[in-house]
Amino acid sequence: MDSPFFDQTKSSARRIRSRKIGVASLLLAAASVASAQQSILLDAMSTELNRAYTALGHQTSDAKQLPPYFLSYSVADADMVMIRAQYGALAGSSSNRARTVDVQVRVGKPELDNTHGDHRSSAVTSLLLPLTDDRQAIARTLWQATNRGYGEAVDNYLRVQTEAQVRAKEEDTSPDFSTEKPQVAVGAVAPRVKIDRAAWEERVRAASRIFREFPDVYQNMVIFTAQNETDYFVSSEGSRVVTPHLQARLVILAMTRAEDGMDMFRDQTFEAETADGLPSQAEVEAAARTLGKSLEALRKAPVTEPFNGPAILSGRAAAVFFHEVLGHRLEGQRQRGDEEGQTFTKQIGQEILPPFLSVSDDPTEERFGKTWLSGNYTYDDEGEKAQRVALIDNGVLKTFLMSRLPIASFAASNGHGRAQSGRMPTGRQGNLIVTSTKTESDDALRKQLIDEAKKQGKPYGLYFEDISSGFAVTQRNSPQAFQVIPLVVWRVYVDGRPDELVRGVSIVGTPLAAMKRIVATGDKPEVFNGECGAESGTVPVSAVAPAMLMTEIETQRQPQGTQRPPILPIPGVQEAK
Amino acid sequence: MLLRPIALAALSAALAAPALHAAEPTRADAEKDTVLKAMLTELDRSMAKLQLKDFQKPFFIQYRVEDVDDFETRAGFGASQGASRGQARIVHVTVLVGDYKTDSSSPRGDGASQLAAQDDDPIALRSSLWAATDQAYKAALAAYAQKQAQLKQVQTPPQADDLSREKAIISLAAPAELALDAASQSAWEARVARWSGLYRTDASVHALIPDIQYSSAVFHARVVTSRLVTSEGTIVRKSETGYQESFGVGTQAADGMRLDRSNSSVGVTAADLEAPEAFEKHAVAMITSLGELKKAPLVEEEYHGPVLLSADAAADTLYRLLGSAVLATRPRLGTEARTNGAFASSYHARVLPDFLDAVDDPTLASFDGKHLLGAYSVDDEGVPAQAVELVKDGKLENYLIGRQPVRDFPQSNGHGRASISGPAHPALGVLKVTAKDGLSDDELQKKLLGLAKDRELKNVYYVETLGGTAPRLLYRIGTDGKRELVRGASLGDLDLRALRSSVEAAGSKLWTANYAGDIPSTVLAPALLVDDVTLKRANEKNDKLPFYPAPE
Repeated sequence: MDSPFFDQTKSSARRIRSRKIGVASLLLAAASVASAQQSILLDAMSTELNRAYTALGHQTSDAKQLPPYFLSYSVADADMVMIRAQYGALAGSSSNRARTVDVQVRVGKPELDNTHGDHRSSAVTSLLLPLTDDRQAIARTLWQATNRGYGEAVDNYLRVQTEAQVRAKEEDTSPDFSTEKPQVAVGAVAPRVKIDRAAWEERVRAASRIFREFPDVYQNMVIFTAQNETDYFVSSEGSRVVTPHLQARLVILAMTRAEDGMDMFRDQTFEAETADGLPSQAEVEAAARTLGKSLEALRKAPVTEPFNGPAILSGRAAAVFFHEVLGHRLEGQRQRGDEEGQTFTKQIGQEILPPFLSVSDDPTEERFGKTWLSGNYTYDDEGEKAQRVALIDNGVLKTFLMSRLPIASFAASNGHGRAQSGRMPTGRQGNLIVTSTKTESDDALRKQLIDEAKKQGKPYGLYFEDISSGFAVTQRNSPQAFQVIPLVVWRVYVDGRPDELVRGVSIVGTPLAAMKRIVATGDKPEVFNGECGAESGTVPVSAVAPAMLMTEIETQRQPQGTQRPPILPIPGVQEAK
Repeated sequence: MLLRPIALAALSAALAAPALHAAEPTRADAEKDTVLKAMLTELDRSMAKLQLKDFQKPFFIQYRVEDVDDFETRAGFGASQGASRGQARIVHVTVLVGDYKTDSSSPRGDGASQLAAQDDDPIALRSSLWAATDQAYKAALAAYAQKQAQLKQVQTPPQADDLSREKAIISLAAPAELALDAASQSAWEARVARWSGLYRTDASVHALIPDIQYSSAVFHARVVTSRLVTSEGTIVRKSETGYQESFGVGTQAADGMRLDRSNSSVGVTAADLEAPEAFEKHAVAMITSLGELKKAPLVEEEYHGPVLLSADAAADTLYRLLGSAVLATRPRLGTEARTNGAFASSYHARVLPDFLDAVDDPTLASFDGKHLLGAYSVDDEGVPAQAVELVKDGKLENYLIGRQPVRDFPQSNGHGRASISGPAHPALGVLKVTAKDGLSDDELQKKLLGLAKDRELKNVYYVETLGGTAPRLLYRIGTDGKRELVRGASLGDLDLRALRSSVEAAGSKLWTANYAGDIPSTVLAPALLVDDVTLKRANEKNDKLPFYPAPE
């Protein structure tokens, strides 16, 4: 088989396309700004929040009651359509609308409150809210949640105080909550999801049917989701924020098993703001076919030998790699607490990457080139305005991704406090963008890989075409936030032999060390759009990076399954052939 | 109200017994059903060809495919929280290697489940069956090897075969549909919203508005059509429908004790449900009772003596106590035990007073004009349902059993039932407990007061309804017959021993309790006067009262 190494026709099939994006959002903005301003929901939230904030701790009946110093209501009003197909037929098609409120109560002082240490997640109480604009019902549900949340907060605060007395002094004595200016930004309300459901059902079905061409792909799934969400945020500090968030997503997932029992999967996702921004059916089916071919080739590929030598990560692979290995370690909350590795905590101002690399996280970018970025947002889940954050400047670490949880080196949020409904926001990535000032063409980079391998006396270097994202990792038995699983790896021989696909590669050693050994990058950044899971739940993210050449990466054999491949051929094969 | 006629039409089809009076259907009839045809094709292929080199072929394969159509809408404080309608198709595959005497089955249940495509696409459906079959066969080979090893380690041989031999049947009931169009779904959405707001709208409970801490209502409807084929030639298609409307409301007493009331009405058809007006009246009565409970005194610290359980409370108690004890499940390897559980060694022994009988009859489709949720005609292993006389004159004479025999019970009596995607195991269908010479409510009350006088007690108790195992409505009855509502009690010593030797009398009227759990079942039970029961203060943690007043 030919190597798809830097083959433009093949990689373009995987590249995310987006069209017609601007139109929908413009129409939406014009149509519904007014409705958010007059929102009964927003008004009921503000009224009830003020009533709770002034009443709690000031009831004459109980003089010892602690007043909360902070209260926020965060409502996610989400309308969603989900369509799934497998084995070429529809496996599910459903729609759902729900309003969820997260009530956050803080008692004590910002210096030490009920969220301290392990108690952080206890400060959020969630309930389903009425979907209709019934002021009384909304208010009473908020009261119910606030009451429960306040009880929890007081209970946890007492425990925090006790623990503070019996424990040795903490290394990081930062407060538990940062001081920020209130934000007022009442934006548009997202419209309901409007799609041609029957047409999308047929599209999803047809994409899944492609795998009938690949009898060794023993399982496949195509999932389409369109979610239009409006987020409402009010706080006792005076913030009032309404922001829409629209996202359509198409995921293709396929699996196979080699004769020796090794399981292999590939996935391809497409994201856009709305469903009509997703690629054409022809592109989707071509992507499915590429996955099918790739898996059929992979299951016959030789198993890799342990290797220690030069390698190239494709742009997509580098994007995932930076997100998983670097991005998560730059989250503010990981710089404080006994359980955290704190890799970078004390390295501010130091060079942690080669000087030609810079890394920023910029949720305010809606697009990279023509590609829509799923990690974009205008206000974070603590009601703070999204900001571009220059994390690493010419190799030097500058700052971290901050929520309102301060750390020793940084006291304030930089608009990266994110969470899914029901979770306490923490510092998270949005759009992680890696840029380079030392770029080379694909051919030059490949040549450099071969030269480096020769120099090290290796018969080949490795090309990582695809490594699994956080999304794909959740399909595995042991999801680990930082684990990266190479999915498609090629040997690039120094003697001019054709590139050879191998399987079962696992990156070992410290991936951070590998990052320091980046010597050059490609000149075509690639976008990875995906969903990222961590303590504060699943949030949409993007990562952008060019291909990277590393002088040394250490790999070993991946632990593999022992189940045999299916005994009988998949149905339909004999009939078809 | 829109829903009623539509739902009835579809459900009458669902309820029609499999065409037993007509000529027995054939495999050719079954194959007119695309799904059954695909199942049979894949089953045949697996039986003929599925074999790992140097290992046994399967001797038994069963495919069950369940189509679930589900609608739920919930509301709180007078407003809808949303509605969802969802469909799913799930396959459950059982593969056994070995033989009827010793097979690969284990106590954990066997087989593999897969989500399948909903389209009636034969290749897609067969692909899911194929994947599950492959997985189940490999697991069966491993389990069989393990069982052979375990058998070598025990002296006492198994007391019964592993799989019963049953006559293959073909039974094809018309599939039912969930008869809820968009208009009736909206009507239910509005109805539960209204119910959840009754505390706001019903003038008779206005005084309680500030006290209500939650008020919610739910409507849930589900149709499950299952198709079953086995390598023995059994082919079954059947549907089960269930409708449920429920209402719950709660507050706290001044001392912080949580007070909860709920009412739910369950049926096989929407027409079985309480009419909206009646349900609404019931819901208002629930809210009103919260007001009464708030004022009610605490139960005395401890009481031992006669307690009258209403038929409603008795049904819950019998469900809890008898429900699991009468099931026959295979004992551990190496023991001589007949079965597991409380009645493992009670065959022919007395388990109830001699004036009580119990039968489980899933073919009893209705009682008092209402359909029974636990009724069915063929179980989930393809065995026709049978009426089983469990307890006669107080003695245990039978068990409920599926296709895993136990000592003295080599055949299934049609009680092998499965929750969606799960393996089958014995379960209640319609348990009917009756008393010879049952008493009227008045006579029971008289007898209760008589016991009080004999024992020189100042008062006795009447449990009107239970929430879990604790009384929700409990009345203290003075020797003069005067009733007073009390709160905060827990029940003790209401166990199998009490059922055997402490039931003084039972009522003549039967209460119908439908349980819409994973496996629907029904208990028909009379009121029970139990001689020696303990009531005491629950002394549960009393949470703080609301920290600030409710809005408005």
